[in-house]
Amino acid sequence: MDFNNRLLRALSPADQDVLRPHLRWSELERGTVLVSPNEPITHVWFPESGLTSIIAMAGSDQGIEVGLAGRDGLVGMPLLLDADRTPHRIFIQVSGAAYSIDGTLFRTLLDDHAGIRKLLLRYVQAYSTQTTYTALSNGMHTVEERLARWLLMSHDRQDDDEIPLTHDFLALMLGVRRPSVTIALHSLEGLGFIKATRGLIVVRKREELEEFAGAGYGVPEAEYERLIGQLR
Amino acid sequence: MPRFFLHIDDGTQRIEDEEGSELPDLEAAREEALGSARQLWAAAILRQQDIGSRRFVIVSGEGDVADTVEMDDALPSTLLDRLRA
Repeated sequence: MDFNNRLLRALSPADQDVLRPHLRWSELERGTVLVSPNEPITHVWFPESGLTSIIAMAGSDQGIEVGLAGRDGLVGMPLLLDADRTPHRIFIQVSGAAYSIDGTLFRTLLDDHAGIRKLLLRYVQAYSTQTTYTALSNGMHTVEERLARWLLMSHDRQDDDEIPLTHDFLALMLGVRRPSVTIALHSLEGLGFIKATRGLIVVRKREELEEFAGAGYGVPEAEYERLIGQLR
Repeated sequence: MPRFFLHIDDGTQRIEDEEGSELPDLEAAREEALGSARQLWAAAILRQQDIGSRRFVIVSGEGDVADTVEMDDALPSTLLDRLRA
């Protein structure tokens, strides 16, 4: 069992051995809801590939993305923090696969294995830095800059340059209407940074995209690397 | 629900809406265009850009032009009156 998930990889071999017998592999289809608002969280998932989106809800059917986790992280963070549920909704945004572990068992293992708990708590710190920079971007940056940031974050969490995403999803990610996404993609495409076709965005000029994204990109990523290890 | 495409046209160039949206009816598509136009104006004003020459061309799932919504239609009517005075 070789891990692609950066957290599982960063664990010591002994701690990996603690988790390994309890991990169950599952394919995750786009749209699958892993965590529903205010309902008990049953499992913790460690994505091996794909992307999950953490959504702060505004009513029952609207919301905005506040966090992103792929192979860099985990889903089910409240269980780490002695909470059994969250007001957020977490779903699969890009299909992939994950190792999951039963939530109750996970909490027991954390109590007995400080090495696992410490690493995962450092991830909580890295993740919370990500969400604070999402707040910064939402408050200070244009839709184009926020889109650039989001594409970079997504690109960091996969191996190839093709990001399979519809404008509808991007609108939810950025909390804007779809035509604003269409225009922003058109601008980034005009600058030569990306190529957008139906349902697929190809990153062409990564460095230029980073420069364009400005202060929204870079700090959380550096913090992740300081606390956990290599992100990309 | 029927699908509507909201293309953005400025007379010389068209930014295609490749995916379209599922909306209950044409009135809902017009509302979506108007709401989007307000959002685009907000961003345009911050960068001192005039997007008044642009419009939404609403195209039905069958490919027929169902309606157009001018960006100016989304501005407050009192503002438009003042600008035109």
